[in-house]
Amino acid sequence: MSLLEIRGLTKAFNGVTVLDGVDLDVEAGSVTVLVGPSGSGKSTLLRCINHLETPDAGTIAVDGSLVAYRRDGDLLRELPERAIAPQRRRIGMVFQQFQLFGHMTALANVIEAPVGVLGVPRREAIERGRALLARVGLEGREDAYPRQLSGGQQQRVAIARALAMEPTLMLFDEPTSALDPALVGEVLEVLRDLAAGGTTMVVVTHEIAFARDVADTVVVLGDGRIEHSGPPAEVLDDRSVRVA
Amino acid sequence: MTSLAAPEAPPGSPPRTVRSRHVGRWVWAALVVVLVVWALRSVALNPAFGWGTVAQYLFTTAVLHGLATTLLLTVATTVLGFLLGIGLAAMRLSGNPVLSSVSWGYVWLFRSTPLLVQLLFWYNIGALYPKLSLGIPFGPTFFSIDSVNLVSVLVAALLGLILHEAAYAAEIVRGGILSVDAGQSEAAVSLGMTRARVLRRIVLPQAMRSIIPATGNMVIGTLKGTSIVSVIAVTDLLYSVQTIYDRTYEIIPLLLVATVWYVILTSILSVGQYYVERYYARGAERTLPPTPLQRLRRSFR
Repeated sequence: MSLLEIRGLTKAFNGVTVLDGVDLDVEAGSVTVLVGPSGSGKSTLLRCINHLETPDAGTIAVDGSLVAYRRDGDLLRELPERAIAPQRRRIGMVFQQFQLFGHMTALANVIEAPVGVLGVPRREAIERGRALLARVGLEGREDAYPRQLSGGQQQRVAIARALAMEPTLMLFDEPTSALDPALVGEVLEVLRDLAAGGTTMVVVTHEIAFARDVADTVVVLGDGRIEHSGPPAEVLDDRSVRVA
Repeated sequence: MTSLAAPEAPPGSPPRTVRSRHVGRWVWAALVVVLVVWALRSVALNPAFGWGTVAQYLFTTAVLHGLATTLLLTVATTVLGFLLGIGLAAMRLSGNPVLSSVSWGYVWLFRSTPLLVQLLFWYNIGALYPKLSLGIPFGPTFFSIDSVNLVSVLVAALLGLILHEAAYAAEIVRGGILSVDAGQSEAAVSLGMTRARVLRRIVLPQAMRSIIPATGNMVIGTLKGTSIVSVIAVTDLLYSVQTIYDRTYEIIPLLLVATVWYVILTSILSVGQYYVERYYARGAERTLPPTPLQRLRRSFR
């Protein structure tokens, strides 16, 4: 059984089909990179996984249990908010626009959910938060507010914040697209490091070189369908594949 | 052959710049200073202002008592009005169409009628509902009480002010919440927070930055607005001085007594607003601006 199993995922916005029966399996400890031209449904697929978007049809299961739904015969009934929240704690998400909490320091961003949601003792959370910030190369910047950090630094704090919940699955939605070219490298470096450490990751990106280096599987989306899927060498070197 | 070079400067040092003289500024400044001094002098020396009488009444028990009532009304109206307003804003922004519509209807109704009219309604509540009872709607009643006994003039004033304030506070809070990027909520929800927690920990603290200036306006408006309760005979600051001048006919000096107190209180509130704003600017600006005190200290160093 795969860690993430998606079957027949379908989603339309105002009658425009964005996802059209997507099947996807992600094995524990693997890195899956989603590529494809803009508007091909990559972000929507990612956002369906932690239920930021509501799919029209299809199932998403993490670790064998359906996310945000329970099966009722032929139907999937949406769970109440309080039942979805615990499921989301196991799924980390990193956004294109970082979305750090602007009124909190870097460290406060990282410990907010462990303390407030999981009930980790503050002292312990701070210790782990410092370690996580050090891991993404931000030792000494614990007390900086997001506005005092560069884009690359903010995105690394955002990664530390997601990791602080010890998720079983990490989702990255174009984590480097909002960054200056000079800052892309430092964020990709953290992603490489996580991949090497065995974190299960699904990454939406336009960084083909990163996909080639780090991905176990490259999935190419086009018009809401999976057009190609396989090891990077196979998919990216195929001249017929439209990846961006 | 003509040279294109600038006029000769002493070798080695670049030419010094000189600011242009603002002659007009000096003329206008002098004119305005003369006008202000003239106005202040007339206020100070015109015996009709009766500054002696003002000083005499400023700290009398009746005036201080009225002042306390005004403060009580302001604090209660602001605190309870805003609590109700936050609830109304949450209802309006909720996905529940009934709650949302009811909230909209509330704001519509209480903003559509003058506060004075609302106060008069509450003052006369006994004519509308002679008895108030506690029970289950359309069901049994547990106990009931005559309205006139429960709704004193002070309670009528509080009800009117709070319910009116809540309508405006709801819009201020809603505006503040809408000013926070929706991505902030998504990020918080992705961390497994519940909606209520997201609102309390993530959205509201950031919304405060745009809520505070509007709230400052509201509090100062409320402080002065409470003087309207004098029409239903609540002994607030204005009503207290009115009671005195009805007896002594020293109308202007006693209105000045009220004015002086209103100015003192609004000044305190304005300074308070500055510091509250500064507190909520954490993270929103790279470095906080110095407080006036810090600025003062720095200039003496």
